[in-house]
Amino acid sequence: MLDCRIQKTRRAYAVTVDIAAGPERLALFGPSGSGKSTVLSCLAGLETPDGGHIRCDGQTWFPPPLALHHRSVGYLSQKEALFPHLSVAENVQFSLNAAAREQERAWIDEIRERLNLAALWRTRPQQLSGGQARRVALARTLCRRPRLVLLDEPFAGLDRPLVRELAGILKEWQERLRFTLLAVDHDPLVLEGLCPRVVALEEGQVVQRGDWSELSRTPATPTLRALLDLTP
Amino acid sequence: MSKNLPRTLALTLTALFLLYPLWGLASPVGRWQWGATGAAPALATSFALTGAALAIVVAAGTPLAFSLRGAPRGMRIAFEATVLLSVLMPPLALGLLLALAFGPGTALGGLLLRLGIPTSNDPAAFVVTQIYASLGYYLLAASAAFNAVPRELEQSAALLGLKPRAVLWRVTLPLARLGLAAAVSLAWVRALGEFGAIMVTAYYPHGIPVQLWVDLQDNGLPAVLPLLLVFLLSALPLPWALRLLARARGHA
Repeated sequence: MLDCRIQKTRRAYAVTVDIAAGPERLALFGPSGSGKSTVLSCLAGLETPDGGHIRCDGQTWFPPPLALHHRSVGYLSQKEALFPHLSVAENVQFSLNAAAREQERAWIDEIRERLNLAALWRTRPQQLSGGQARRVALARTLCRRPRLVLLDEPFAGLDRPLVRELAGILKEWQERLRFTLLAVDHDPLVLEGLCPRVVALEEGQVVQRGDWSELSRTPATPTLRALLDLTP
Repeated sequence: MSKNLPRTLALTLTALFLLYPLWGLASPVGRWQWGATGAAPALATSFALTGAALAIVVAAGTPLAFSLRGAPRGMRIAFEATVLLSVLMPPLALGLLLALAFGPGTALGGLLLRLGIPTSNDPAAFVVTQIYASLGYYLLAASAAFNAVPRELEQSAALLGLKPRAVLWRVTLPLARLGLAAAVSLAWVRALGEFGAIMVTAYYPHGIPVQLWVDLQDNGLPAVLPLLLVFLLSALPLPWALRLLARARGHA
């Protein structure tokens, strides 16, 4: 269960966002600069909020700020941030020590097969295409079984079939592992396909909450309407 | 092939330019005097004491260079300016300043002398001078190596549950290895080849550079060239090996 109230002052405006989410998939939607990525950064611990609180499954992450390595977070962004000195196999299993790798052998094998990584298992990240690198990053994130998964436009630049495939895998494993998933993407179609619920932001404030059909039918602001109308 | 020609030409010409002085080893200076007086002890002195100095420089300089990344901007700029000052110091001037600052007449020099640590013409003085001569170079190169490691990779490792020490061992150091190998090599050649400062602070025990000077004075070029050849052959393997090892680790 994620319970957070994040206050963060930006140069142009102040972000103030409340989110309560169980083991579900929730989209953060809004125009560029509305504070979506700030919320994800604060949840991951990459930025420290100026006020508010963050709690996840009964553990307080803020205040005081909990160190990154104590937060059970999977963070996926446009930058795969794969370790170039390690093979795909070592990247995927990076969060597991030797003993855990043995214990989790079946789980690792399943991830490898489900994400079609078997043929790439011994290769280096430098040899991967963009889509392959994104698969590896997803596998590495899921391998740890995080309690909270944050997606900061991880599908940008990928073709539709691959986006659908990766989103499908995420949905499947979110339902199985019961983690909370928060997704940000510039494309509402991607978010709608992945997340049943949405929190809409504008200039750092929550302007609407609900499911996608509500948002599509009655967007709360002209900006949201314009964003949804731009959807092909 | 034609695309590579300018590059091949430039690299070859530069390599020839750098290697050309070695042609001096073939100069007709007369019969080489192998095993001239003091050659073996000088080699032993240079390698043992440079090894000690290098160990201290790496042990102290690596965490310092790493911590510099997270230091406040003002502190970092002030520290880097200090390091540059030490690097820019002409070796002879460094030797003179060290002799004056650590001389028996100064408070620190007097204290060290009372503790039984001579501050000139002693292995300790030799090592300290080498540290002064090489630490700045090591810090600059090691800082550049750490700065080249992308922060998002370290953040990724932390988000995957690694404690800061594990991030350092499993991500930062492996990714900085080539730059760190270059820093160690630089410190090694800088300390081993130091002449001007050592000449002032630690004429005794003779290291190789001082021994070359002494041989030149006393026995002429036939005694200098063999020692120079041995010096080059024995000093180069370490930086070469470090470089190869760092590269091999990266592509294993």
